[in-house]
Amino acid sequence: MFPSVRFTINEYIQNRKLLIKLAYVHMSQSTIRSTWGVVWVYIHDILYFTAFVLFRILLTGNSGGDGMHGVEYLMTGLVPWLLISEVLNSATNAIRLNKVIIQSIKFPITILPGVEVLSIFMKRLPSFLFIVVVCIYYGHLANIHVLLALYYIFATFAILFSATLLFSAIIAVSDDFHQIYMAFMRVLFFSLPIMWNFRTLEGTQYAFWGRILKLNPLIYIIQGFRDAFVLGNTQPMEYTVYFWGMTLAVFWFGSFVQRRMQRFYSDFI
Amino acid sequence: MPEKRIIVHNLTKQFYCFDKSYKVIPWLVTRKGYTSVKPALQDISFEIDQGEVVGVIGKNGAGKSTLMKILAGITFPTSGEVIVNGTIGSLINLNAGFNPDFTGRRNIYYKGMLLGMSREHLDEIMEDVIRFADIGEYFDMPARTYSSGMIARLGYALAIFSDPDILITDEVFAVGDKVFREKSRAKTLELFRSGKSILFSSHSDGLIKAFCTRVIYVRGHHIVFDGDVKKGLDMYNQDLGFEESDNMD
Repeated sequence: MFPSVRFTINEYIQNRKLLIKLAYVHMSQSTIRSTWGVVWVYIHDILYFTAFVLFRILLTGNSGGDGMHGVEYLMTGLVPWLLISEVLNSATNAIRLNKVIIQSIKFPITILPGVEVLSIFMKRLPSFLFIVVVCIYYGHLANIHVLLALYYIFATFAILFSATLLFSAIIAVSDDFHQIYMAFMRVLFFSLPIMWNFRTLEGTQYAFWGRILKLNPLIYIIQGFRDAFVLGNTQPMEYTVYFWGMTLAVFWFGSFVQRRMQRFYSDFI
Repeated sequence: MPEKRIIVHNLTKQFYCFDKSYKVIPWLVTRKGYTSVKPALQDISFEIDQGEVVGVIGKNGAGKSTLMKILAGITFPTSGEVIVNGTIGSLINLNAGFNPDFTGRRNIYYKGMLLGMSREHLDEIMEDVIRFADIGEYFDMPARTYSSGMIARLGYALAIFSDPDILITDEVFAVGDKVFREKSRAKTLELFRSGKSILFSSHSDGLIKAFCTRVIYVRGHHIVFDGDVKKGLDMYNQDLGFEESDNMD
């Protein structure tokens, strides 16, 4: 069980310099041809947020539940969502799209998913300032609890890195899986409590489905950012244990698949 | 007694084939469920000494490229042993690892990094690479503006000046124009004289005769001849003659 985990950790420690340099290069590479570079990322974001905020206010009014303003509720979900969706949509292609390198250069392939996740985090972390600005505007950001956001950023990294380790390997070798995965990614947004609130499900006939949805560890993160930035709550211990259990399980399985595939990537891709 | 650079012992390589791509997923865990096994190399053994220039000949699909890739550490043998003493520079697909949006200079740093070279080493060889690749002002322009020959020249220059103990080249002496080809031939001869081991596969009898001290002839996934250049080429051409093959260059 543990040799795979040891393998992954070793690969990352041995290639840590390459990992960080490559992540930096990949981050700057995506916008190298445009004049404003990384600024474009935030211009996209602001337009996206504006559209969602207008839509939300027109649809359901100003309340976000739990004493939150609707805009706060939305932003605390949308900002982590943009990070999550970029990682799950593009970083999971890290191995599939590097066919040429894998087939012509001796390279520690296992670090590729890590490179992509790291570069997306470097690019996207400043966007959490959007939440800070919105929360200050609505006067909710006085609590020391906000430090919990650092914990949730770490948790986000842990689950997304583990998932990318696993999915990037399977996507690289199986197009069937790639199609199923993309289909799930399309509906993922609607299964997360970003536009809607779990409270609306409570006491209705759909409460059961709400509990099923909560099996998705990403919901722990979305709720967590809300707790950290606005509500000042902590989540139930069981859910925290469940989240880290899931993360470790996915990390182990991802490492297992990576180690198994390591000698076969260049044959299969 | 020259040092052994490469020792290959009973090397076998098979490819697993799947008729449906979802069948790979259970295979990841169980190692079962593949549709067929395609042999690429079977029970290959040879050794290469320091300073030898070995030509690998054989028809398309005989397993030459797979052999080269295994020695370069890109793909892995199914069974058997490969021992490599020294650093390997591989000229397999020279265009790989270049980013079209980076300048030539940045691409050298980028690809060098992918190849595991240190920044200091790259700084040291940069002047040589510039002089050898000889692409003038293009060196500080994005690689997307290059002709395909220019990128290959950069790749070749980088691989040559990374100063490997063993050089593995797969069908790349056709890059560039006549001038560059002459230059790369001269450089290869220079490497040969400085005691590097070179392993190269080619379909050109002329190149093999000009460079090699020994040939390995791969036919049907086996080594059928290992030794004198002339005898090996004769045997190869004889085989081609019998089988009415396409290309004799």
